[in-house]
Amino acid sequence: MNFLAIFKLTIPVMMGYIPLGMAFGLLLSKLLIPWYYAFFMSAFIFAGSGQFLVLTLFASQATILEIGIATFLLNLRHTFYGLSMISTFKNFSWKKHYLIFGLTDETFALLKTTEVPESNRENAYLLITFLNQCYWILGSVVGAMLGNILPFNYEGIEFSLTALFVVLSIELYKKNRLHKPFFVALIIGLFGMILFPPQKMLILSLCAAAFVLIVFKRSMENGK
Amino acid sequence: MESSYIIGSIAVAAILTYVTRIIPFLLFRTREPSPLIKYIELNMPLMIMVILVFYALKDVKWERYPYGLAEIIGVCVAVLLHVKFKNALLSIFAATLVYMILIQKIL
Repeated sequence: MNFLAIFKLTIPVMMGYIPLGMAFGLLLSKLLIPWYYAFFMSAFIFAGSGQFLVLTLFASQATILEIGIATFLLNLRHTFYGLSMISTFKNFSWKKHYLIFGLTDETFALLKTTEVPESNRENAYLLITFLNQCYWILGSVVGAMLGNILPFNYEGIEFSLTALFVVLSIELYKKNRLHKPFFVALIIGLFGMILFPPQKMLILSLCAAAFVLIVFKRSMENGK
Repeated sequence: MESSYIIGSIAVAAILTYVTRIIPFLLFRTREPSPLIKYIELNMPLMIMVILVFYALKDVKWERYPYGLAEIIGVCVAVLLHVKFKNALLSIFAATLVYMILIQKIL
């Protein structure tokens, strides 16, 4: 896959990450934190909701211990992503640590649905992850520096991430041999969205999904 | 806010975020993943993706006007276009555009 093809794949993420990153940078500057910390956070943490959480905790003067625990719990969902990447990353070189580091919701989504010939898979994955992180860093730094004075009304552009997840769900549904997990996830997601508190919705729903997937393995594999 | 507090927090958050991402790779570094792990590996991504859709919609105020109408229409546009044309960029662009017009100009 050449650069252009990979860049095209990451455009939806760019459309989401730049405005979202800007929202993050804007919030950071509202807390009177110098702009270069936006760069450090996006370069070294690289977790959308995780970084927003840290800012929220900064605002409420949380201790570093509290910040650690909250980040860990919020990002625990990434463990599920890694679980479905073990064999994919298995024969990659040491560079896979960057792939693991960069395994955000959106990067995971792209890696899982991109068909790349095995010969240059590692490089393609690295480039996807790197481009995504560049968008995120760019957005957050620009947001922190000049979020307030941008003329364009980009309200709602973050919906591209929702649309990305919708499209990738359809792609994975077509690729997956079993279709029952899709419908189970629809039900869990819907109820999770209504019943669970928003900050814990993702991890609780993912645990419920893993639970159902494992406990009802036999009936999942029965029929189609 | 003191810079030592900010830097310390960033370092802690960065390390723990990385830990959550590397746990499964450490667990299965030497052992061959069992059939159960392989089954999870195969089927969990689809479930994660579907749940991420709802996660992305978690802050919508369904009980207040406009009752999440823009989000519902946006999702429908993405689904219909994608089923019909199978072009990811088109589906995502069009759905986002429709959504932005809806929330900025109409609803």
